[in-house]
Amino acid sequence: MTTLLLDASVVLAAFDPEDDHHRSANALLVDPSLTLTTLDLVRYEVANVAVRAWRAPKTVASLLAAVERIADDGGVIESTAALLERAAELAEQHTISVYDAAYAAAADQADRRLVSCDDRDLVSKALAIHPASVHSP
Amino acid sequence: MAKVMVSMPDDLLAEVDAEASRTGSTRSAVMRDFADAALRRRRADRAAAMQKLLAAASPHGGSAAEQVKATRPGQ
Repeated sequence: MTTLLLDASVVLAAFDPEDDHHRSANALLVDPSLTLTTLDLVRYEVANVAVRAWRAPKTVASLLAAVERIADDGGVIESTAALLERAAELAEQHTISVYDAAYAAAADQADRRLVSCDDRDLVSKALAIHPASVHSP
Repeated sequence: MAKVMVSMPDDLLAEVDAEASRTGSTRSAVMRDFADAALRRRRADRAAAMQKLLAAASPHGGSAAEQVKATRPGQ
């Protein structure tokens, strides 16, 4: 049994058929063999994209409902001071934002694999894997 | 396999022992099976609920990771 920590990009990609990672992100969310978890930051980030980028505030309810289903599964990790201190270290070390680093710190803290669609700051730096890589041999 | 100490109410332990006796199993096996079944059910419930939510997916232009960064405070 595998437990994965998803960042906001994976949840959003699953809800957007035009996203390059849509199919693989969707497959993760509906896979009953996986336990899924995330970070509390995800609630703000998915809502922010829905309202400010998608201009689709009505999608916020579905996105947050998806996060709550993850909460009922593997849980939502709280952004504690200790986690954010670790995130700050990772942000400095990898020259990434504390937002992105917070997901990596949460995965590190919970001993989970971080899954993200973020090539530039997470996947390319080996801090996360793509959704499609989860089911790859 | 790891060995753990578990605290539980006496009446719950009695039910676990009764189940072990009924099935010709052990206390450890019963607790292991119940934990496994509960976690499987939880994952299945999440997967089923996600199927319903994702039926409402609609096109938004893609590039989710870039959109997350672009909408963060200060961007």
